[in-house]
Amino acid sequence: MAPAPTLDVHPVNGPPAGEPSAGQKSQKQMTKAERRELQEKQRAAKAAKAAANAPNGKLGGKAAKELSALAGAPSKKTGRPSDAASKPPPPGLVKAAQAKAGQASLADQSARNQARGLLIFSHFGLPKPVSAAKGDIHPAIARLALQFSTFKITGANARCIATLTAFKTVIQDYVTPQNNTLSRHLMTYLSPQISHLVAARPMSITMGNAIRQLKLDISGSDIDLPEQDAKDVLFRKIDTYIRERIIIADQVIQETAGNKIKDGDIVLTYARSSVVEKVLLEAHASGREFSVIVVDSRPMLEGKRLLAVLSEAGIQCTYLLLPALGSVISEVSVVLVGAHSIHTNGAVYSRAGTALVAMMAKRHSVPVVVCCETYKFSENIQLDSFTKNELAPLGDLFSSFPNNKPREYLTLENQPHLEILNPLYDLTPPSCITAVVTEVGVIPPNAISSIPVALGRL
Amino acid sequence: MSAQTQSGDFDIYATFQQFLQDEEISPPLAAISALAEAIVRSNAGTMFELVQALNDGAEELKRRSPNPISLNAGCELFIAFVTLFPHESDNFAELKKELEQQGRKYAAEALTFRDKIAELALGFIKDDSVILTHSHSRVVLKALLHAHKTKRISVYVTESRPRGLGLKTYETLTAAGIPCTVVLDSAVAYVMDRVDFVLVGSEAVVESGGLINYVGSNQMAIIAKAANKPFYALAESYKFHRLFPLSQYDLPTHNPNILSFPTPIGRSAGTDDAPSTSTPDIITKQPARLGTSSSSTERAMNQEQIAKNPGVDYTRPDLISLVFSDVGILTPEGVSQYLVGMFAG
Repeated sequence: MAPAPTLDVHPVNGPPAGEPSAGQKSQKQMTKAERRELQEKQRAAKAAKAAANAPNGKLGGKAAKELSALAGAPSKKTGRPSDAASKPPPPGLVKAAQAKAGQASLADQSARNQARGLLIFSHFGLPKPVSAAKGDIHPAIARLALQFSTFKITGANARCIATLTAFKTVIQDYVTPQNNTLSRHLMTYLSPQISHLVAARPMSITMGNAIRQLKLDISGSDIDLPEQDAKDVLFRKIDTYIRERIIIADQVIQETAGNKIKDGDIVLTYARSSVVEKVLLEAHASGREFSVIVVDSRPMLEGKRLLAVLSEAGIQCTYLLLPALGSVISEVSVVLVGAHSIHTNGAVYSRAGTALVAMMAKRHSVPVVVCCETYKFSENIQLDSFTKNELAPLGDLFSSFPNNKPREYLTLENQPHLEILNPLYDLTPPSCITAVVTEVGVIPPNAISSIPVALGRL
Repeated sequence: MSAQTQSGDFDIYATFQQFLQDEEISPPLAAISALAEAIVRSNAGTMFELVQALNDGAEELKRRSPNPISLNAGCELFIAFVTLFPHESDNFAELKKELEQQGRKYAAEALTFRDKIAELALGFIKDDSVILTHSHSRVVLKALLHAHKTKRISVYVTESRPRGLGLKTYETLTAAGIPCTVVLDSAVAYVMDRVDFVLVGSEAVVESGGLINYVGSNQMAIIAKAANKPFYALAESYKFHRLFPLSQYDLPTHNPNILSFPTPIGRSAGTDDAPSTSTPDIITKQPARLGTSSSSTERAMNQEQIAKNPGVDYTRPDLISLVFSDVGILTPEGVSQYLVGMFAG
């Protein structure tokens, strides 16, 4: 998956194949400073190359010209290149190509930014722009990839449902070629689509589990069925998966977790989990009197949406940012958080900041309840937040700091010795968690390995 | 949704009480037997109605019982068993009889569980062990008496106020010839360094792997952890419960009256958590109870003050070393796995 950490800190737009071996041989002889110099040279050369090549032939002439103009431009403001590229829409161009132009210009610009390079966490790979569609990418997938990479769709559940829905469209449009069977060929057809999605944004555990299940269903589909029937079977299976593992699971979790909220409780939650939102709304609808503290953090500030939804429903809410957590934690009755995924050792991988909330709560003897469907279960063991994580992309999306200054004052960019590190996830150790609520029951964190047992029975 | 009306001639609580008469039978077993009886008496025609009737019966028992937790465990176990029991739907009357027999068989077999546990615990009791136990538990007594046959042991038991059940344990052990001393509840920390390990019974073992037992067990577990002494819990498998308390105050036995403060005298009793207290009683000198030395300077709590105290508490799983049960010796995590495996199907 992620490239193994090497000495030269190239962005994962990948150095050409020949380079690493040549570079590494002589690197052992060079001093550290010489090595650093070599890296800078290589990076600059590559960035220039990337800018010079128009990324795909689909670009209209105008857009290509803008790009090459940008390639020469020494200084860049964050918002401008993408604005300039997307402003004049050459007629007849697909919208996707337009956005790709924008992304490409972002790419060369971030490549330039990466000339400095992150010295830690670079093994995650920096977020790549959505590159040219290699081969046949179905428009539904292309659209989805874009939505992922621009963070229009976020959240493990949302991404999984969107992926499966898009795959339904793809499967519907798919035609089995001659001399081939659906069960064997469909998967090879879907593989590049999946890679395209992964290139847009690394896959979530939920997407991985769902796709694995889909592959299983495809390979198990009956050869003798006529094509549309086989497809219908697949659709039913996909719908069942969504319904049982997500929708109905959420309903069970709503009820179970809702019972843990008593009248007069103060519930604290972090960022925005779709499951926790449902739990709180359901508990409120069933007449329980409680208030909520929404803790949020930059740069994504997802908690604002949760705050809007809860306030609209009539729940009394308090909103604060993560650094202020210490002031309110002693009044909290229970902490409810969601999860991106949960691992065999009971560790919970969730939005960055969740670990802080859990540790603070543990310190003050406040129970921490994680609401997590079983399909988020990942069989590997994760011990820390560094081995596997995802970095938020640089650029317009997250550089809105400080809020009250105009764009030209985005001082965090364009500094030669300043790097922005923005991991999206972190790992909460099982010792800080009191209970995990799943649809098969409430499980203590050190017994998470009993989930496969329970699932085996289902 | 109308429940099967069987409360006319069949009072499930009375039946339950009847079963409880037997000293050996604990509340969950009595509940199972009462429910088995309820099956036969019920006039349900389908499985659904039967389960409905059983649920109603269980509710009734829970409502009228002062301490419903262990009872609840037994009820849930039996109802889950009934629901999962393979049945062909032709002869329902026979099915009901079959279920009732299974229930009775289970209750009878369950009486051997304590012996199994005693045998398992024997391996952990070395010669000249000094054991600390809490209050009164039949399974612990059985284990200790069993160990006494082949090993030398001595036992400290806590007084366990307010009910003073520790003294009952003291009498039983002394009668059997085991050297036994009663310690004050507050002297547990004092005595812990002398002790080799702690052995307690249970009201219920919960899904987190934690323990619900007479109040004072949590204290003992914390002190044992601080002193690095093993803390073992003995529990029959019908006491495994799907409850998952997040804290002491999340227990079903916790009510707003417990640990509430009284309204001050002279001020209007506004919306107070404690409906039963009007003015605080001045502590009256009462004759010291429970057979201890009757010094005239000794005082005791009155009923009202005792009512504000909990009867059971929750011990966290990380404080418990092992749970001895008839299904084996489990770690607290293992309890959770067993429960999930048993009820998930």
